[in-house]
Amino acid sequence: MALRFLVRWSVALAAIVLIVSGVAVAQTPRRGGVLRVGNLGEPPALDAHWTTASITETLTNHIYEGLYSLDATNRPIPMLAESHSVSRDGLTYTFKLRQAVKFHNGKEMTAEDVVPSLARWGKQSIYGKALFAQVADWRAVDRYTVEMRLKEKSAIVLISLAVPNNFGAIYPREIVEKFPPEVKVTEYVGTGPFKLVEWKPDQYIRMVRFDDYKPRNEKPNGYGGGKTPWLDEIRWIPVPEVATRVAQVETGELEFADDLNLDAYDRLKRTPNVHTIISRPYYWLVAVFNKKDGLMTNAKLRQAWQAAIDIEPIMKNVAGGHAEFYRMDSSLTPVEIAAWHTKLAGLPWNEHNREKARRLLKEAGYKSEPVRFMTTQEYKWMYDFALLTKQQLEDAGFTIDLQVVDWATLVKRRNNPKEYDVFTTGMGAFYDPTHHIYLTATWPGWTTDEDILKLQAELARETDPKKRMVLWEQQTRQFYEKVPVIRYGDLFGLRAMRTSVKGFNERTERIRFYNVWLDK
Amino acid sequence: MTAYLLRRALALVPVLVVVVTVTFLLIHLIPGDPVSVMLGPDATPAQIQATRQALGLDRPLHEQLLKFYGRILRGDLGQSYFLDRPVTQALLERAEPTLVLTCSALFVAIVIGVPSGIVAAAAPGSLWDRTLMLAALLGVCVPGFWLSLNFIYLFAVRLGWLPAAGYASILADPLAALRYMVLPAVSLGFSQSALIARISRSCMLEALAQDYVRTARAKGLPDATVTWVHAFRNALVPVVTVIGITTAILIGGAVVTEIVFNIPGLGRLIISAVLRRDYPVVQGVILLTATVYVLINLVVDILYVFIDPRIRYE
Amino acid sequence: MSDAVRVTWLRRVGRNRNVVAGALIVTLVVLAALFAGAISTHNPQRLDPANRLRPPSTVNYLGTDEFGRDVWSLVVYGSRVSLLVGATTMALTSLGGIVIGLLAGYYRRLDLVLMRVMDGLMAFPAILLAIALMAARGPGVGNVVFALSVVYTPRTAMLIRSTVLSLRELDYVHAARALGRRDLAIAFRHILPNCVGPLLVQASFIFAYAILAEAILGFLGVGVPPYVPSWGNVIASGKNVIREAFWVSLFPGLALTAAGLGLNLLGDGFRDTLDPRLRVS
Repeated sequence: MALRFLVRWSVALAAIVLIVSGVAVAQTPRRGGVLRVGNLGEPPALDAHWTTASITETLTNHIYEGLYSLDATNRPIPMLAESHSVSRDGLTYTFKLRQAVKFHNGKEMTAEDVVPSLARWGKQSIYGKALFAQVADWRAVDRYTVEMRLKEKSAIVLISLAVPNNFGAIYPREIVEKFPPEVKVTEYVGTGPFKLVEWKPDQYIRMVRFDDYKPRNEKPNGYGGGKTPWLDEIRWIPVPEVATRVAQVETGELEFADDLNLDAYDRLKRTPNVHTIISRPYYWLVAVFNKKDGLMTNAKLRQAWQAAIDIEPIMKNVAGGHAEFYRMDSSLTPVEIAAWHTKLAGLPWNEHNREKARRLLKEAGYKSEPVRFMTTQEYKWMYDFALLTKQQLEDAGFTIDLQVVDWATLVKRRNNPKEYDVFTTGMGAFYDPTHHIYLTATWPGWTTDEDILKLQAELARETDPKKRMVLWEQQTRQFYEKVPVIRYGDLFGLRAMRTSVKGFNERTERIRFYNVWLDK
Repeated sequence: MTAYLLRRALALVPVLVVVVTVTFLLIHLIPGDPVSVMLGPDATPAQIQATRQALGLDRPLHEQLLKFYGRILRGDLGQSYFLDRPVTQALLERAEPTLVLTCSALFVAIVIGVPSGIVAAAAPGSLWDRTLMLAALLGVCVPGFWLSLNFIYLFAVRLGWLPAAGYASILADPLAALRYMVLPAVSLGFSQSALIARISRSCMLEALAQDYVRTARAKGLPDATVTWVHAFRNALVPVVTVIGITTAILIGGAVVTEIVFNIPGLGRLIISAVLRRDYPVVQGVILLTATVYVLINLVVDILYVFIDPRIRYE
Repeated sequence: MSDAVRVTWLRRVGRNRNVVAGALIVTLVVLAALFAGAISTHNPQRLDPANRLRPPSTVNYLGTDEFGRDVWSLVVYGSRVSLLVGATTMALTSLGGIVIGLLAGYYRRLDLVLMRVMDGLMAFPAILLAIALMAARGPGVGNVVFALSVVYTPRTAMLIRSTVLSLRELDYVHAARALGRRDLAIAFRHILPNCVGPLLVQASFIFAYAILAEAILGFLGVGVPPYVPSWGNVIASGKNVIREAFWVSLFPGLALTAAGLGLNLLGDGFRDTLDPRLRVS
C-alpha cells in the first residue's frame, strides 16, 4: 500500500519535473537567428536627433542609447548614466556615467562624447530644444562625470533625457564634430546592442549583434534595464503594401510585421503559428490647424469643426469595425501613461452638435471658402479619418478641399503656412506634459496662443507633481477652448509575430528586439 | 549586310538624342522652382541661390541642355538627392530584379503564346482554335495587376504553394529566386502571352497558305515537318517584331508587378523616387528604359536580317 | 470615296461579328457613363461607415467597400473617368497623328526630322512617363492623358504617313494636282478617307490601352484623387480587404476587362473589314 502510494507520487513528481524543465527549456533564450521585420517604409534618417518619425525612433533605439530610458511605468531609469545627483537648489544636475561602455567602433564612451552629443541634440531635437532652453551651462567635469546647470528649476530634466522619440542618443565625439546639427548623420556608430552593417534603401536595413555590448545588470524593465541581443541579425524590410506585409507573416517570410490593417485581425487570429498583438497606445488621431496663416487662424472655425464631428463612428471605421481597437477618451495623455491621464467632464469634445457648429460658422463669418485639408494614404488611418471627417463637416456646412499627397510631401508642406489649412497626423505617447509638441509655437501648426504657452512654461518650471497635475488639467480645459488641434480618439495598432519569436515585450508602445530570441 | 547594320546603328543616334532631350525637359516642366522643392521650405534665399548656381540651373536652357548631353555621354547621370549616391549606382543596384522579372515574363509569354498560336493555326476553326483564341482575347483584356492580386490570394494565401511577395537574387539562391519569380512572371507574362498567341496564329496561317507549303505537302512531306520546319521559320519574322513591342509593354507593366510583389527593382525605384521628388533618379530610370527599348528594337532589326533574307537588300 | 463604295464599306463593317459584339459592349459602357445618375442606386461618394464591407445584396447589388460606399454605383460612375480618359487620349492622338502624319508624308525634309522625333517618343514606356510626370506636376488624370498622347501619337502619325506616301503616287492624286487643287484639299478629299480604316483600328486599341493605363495609375495612387470614383481607385481600395471582401476589387476588374474586351473586339472587327493588310485572325 505504502509502496503504491510512493510510486504514484514519484511518478507525479517526475512528471512535474519533466514538465517544468520542459517549460524551462522552452523559455531559455538561445543565441542566433535572423529576425525579418516588415516595416511600412524607409526611415527618413537614422539620425536620432534629427526627426520625430516613429520608424526612425524604432530603428535608432537598437543602435544608440541615451543617458536615461523609460521603465515599465514610463518613468526615467538610468541607461548610460550610472546615477545622478541634484544640488540643493535644484539647479545643478550631476550625472555619473557608466564605465567601460564601448561604441561599435571599439572606442570607450566618456564625457567627451556625451557633452557634444547632447549639445547637438539640444539644438536639433524638439525635446532637446525644450530642455536646453532652460540650461545655462553643460560641461564635462571629468572623464565619467557631466554637469548640467539650469537657469531655473526644471521638472523635465530626466524625462527629457529618457524619452525614446527624437532622443538624446550618444554619438562618438568625432561623429558629432563631423555632422553639425543641420546635417543628417550618415555614419552610424552607437553603444546599442545592435550595430548597423548595411542599409540598402527600399530593400533592407541590416543590424547585427554588437558582441562587445555589456547589458546592465537589472532585469529588462520597459524600454530599459538589461538588454541582451540574442539574435544574430535583425533585418528590417520595407514592405509598403500592407496586404503584402500581412501575407508575408502568414506564410512565414517575415517573422514580424507592424502597422497592419485592422481588417486582417480576425484572419490573423485564426492563422496557426501567428500571434497577434494589440498595441496600446498606438496613435491618437489629430487634425492640426494652420494657425499662422489662412482660414483656420479664426478660432470660431476651429471650434465649429470640433463641435461638428461625431468621433465614435469615425474611430469605429478606422478600427475596421473592431471595438477592441479604439478607445474614446478626451484626455490628452492616454490611459497607459497613468501619471498624466486626466478624467475631466464637461469638455466640448465629441459634442457632435451640428446646430452649434452651424452657429459657430455663422459667427465666424464663414463664406464657404474651401478649407485645404491635407492627408496621405501612406498611413491608411489618416486617410480614413480625413475622408470621414470631410463628409461630416460638409454635412455641417463646411467646404473641404481634400488634398491627398504622399507622406514626404505632407511633411514638407506642413512647414509652409501658405500651403494648407489643416493636416492629419497621429500623436504617439508623450511622457511629460511639456512634450506635447502641438502645444508649441515651432512645430507645424504654430500654436502661438499666449495662455497655452504660458502654462507650458509653468509646467516646465514646477517640480511638484501634484501642482503639475493641476496645471495640466487647466491646460487640458484650455486646449478644448482654444482648439489648436482637433483630438479624435485613441487608435490601437495591430502587430503580428510568428510563434517562433520569443521574449518580445508586448507592452511597449513601439517595437524593440533586444531580449528577443528565435525558437526554431 | 554590314552596310545595312551600320546604317541601322547610325540611325539610332538621332533617336537617342530625342530621348535624352525629352528626359531633360521632363524636369523643367515643373511649375515653380525645382531647387526650393529640393531644399525644402526652410531654405533661405541665399541657400537657394547658391544651390542653383552649384547645379548650373541659373544658366540659359540651351546651355543646360548641352551640359546635360555632355554628362550623359560621360555616363554621369547625376546624384540622387535621397539615396546619397550617384544615380548610375542606384540604377545598377536595382537593375537585376527588373531584368530578371522582364526576362521571366517574356519567357512565360513566349512559351505559352507561341505554341498556342501554332496549335491554333494548325487546325483553324476547330474547338481547340476557338477556345485558345477566346482565352487569348480575354488574356489581352484582363488587367495584369488585378490578375496579380488574385494570383497572390489563390496561390500564396489560400493554397500556400508560393510566396506572397519578395525577391531573392538568382546569383545568391537560384531555387528561392525561382519560387519568388513564378507568380510575378506569370501574372506579368500572361497578358503578353495572349497577344503573342494571336499574332503567332495569324502569321502561321499566312505562312501555311503560301505556295511553297502546298508544294511541300504535294511532295509528300509529313504535316509535322511542313508545319514546323517550313512554315514556322517564316512565321518567325513578325513574331520577333512582337517580342520587341512586348518588351516595351513589359517594362511598363513591371512597375505595377514590382509594387504588388514587393520586388526591389527599377519600377519600385521610380515610384519611390517620384514620391520623394528625387528628380535625378526619375530622369535616370526614364532614360534607361527608353534607351533599352531603342536598343532592343535594334537587336530585333538585326535578327530580322538573319531570319528573312529578303530584307538584306533594302 | 464614292457613295457605293461607302455603303459596301458600312455593310461590311456592320456584318462583322466582332464589330457588332464590340460595339454592343462599348455602347453599354457609354450608356452607363451617360446615365450613371439614373442607374446607380447610391451616391458613390457617400460614406456609410455603419455598412462597411457588406457582401452583395438587394440594397447594394455589388456590396459595399470599406467606407460603406456602394460598389455598384462606384463602378457605374467609374466608367465616366475611364471613358473620359480614353476618349480624350484617342482624340488627341488621332488629331496629332493626322497632322504630323500629313506633314511628314508631304514634306520630305520635315519628314526626316519628324520621323526621328517620333521614333524617340515611342521609346518611352507610357506608364513610367505618366508616373514621372507626377513628380513634376502632382497626381492627376492630366498626366495620364498627356503621357499616353505623347507615346501613342507617333504610332498614329506613322500610319497616316505611310498611307500618304503610298497614295501620293496614285494617278488620281497626280491628276488632282495637275488640275491645280491645293495639297490640303487633296489631303482631305482623297487621302484621309483612305486612312479612316486603319485609324479606326488604331483608335480602338489606343482607347482600350488608355482605360487600362488610367486604372493602373489609379491603382498605384497617382491618378485621379482617391475619393473620385474610378475603376483603378476602387480596385486599389479593395486590395487590402481582398480576403474579407473580394467583391470590392472583383467587380471593377470585371468592368475593366469588359470595356477592354469591347474595344478590342471593335478593333479586331475594324481590322478584319477595313484593312485586310493587318489581319490578325
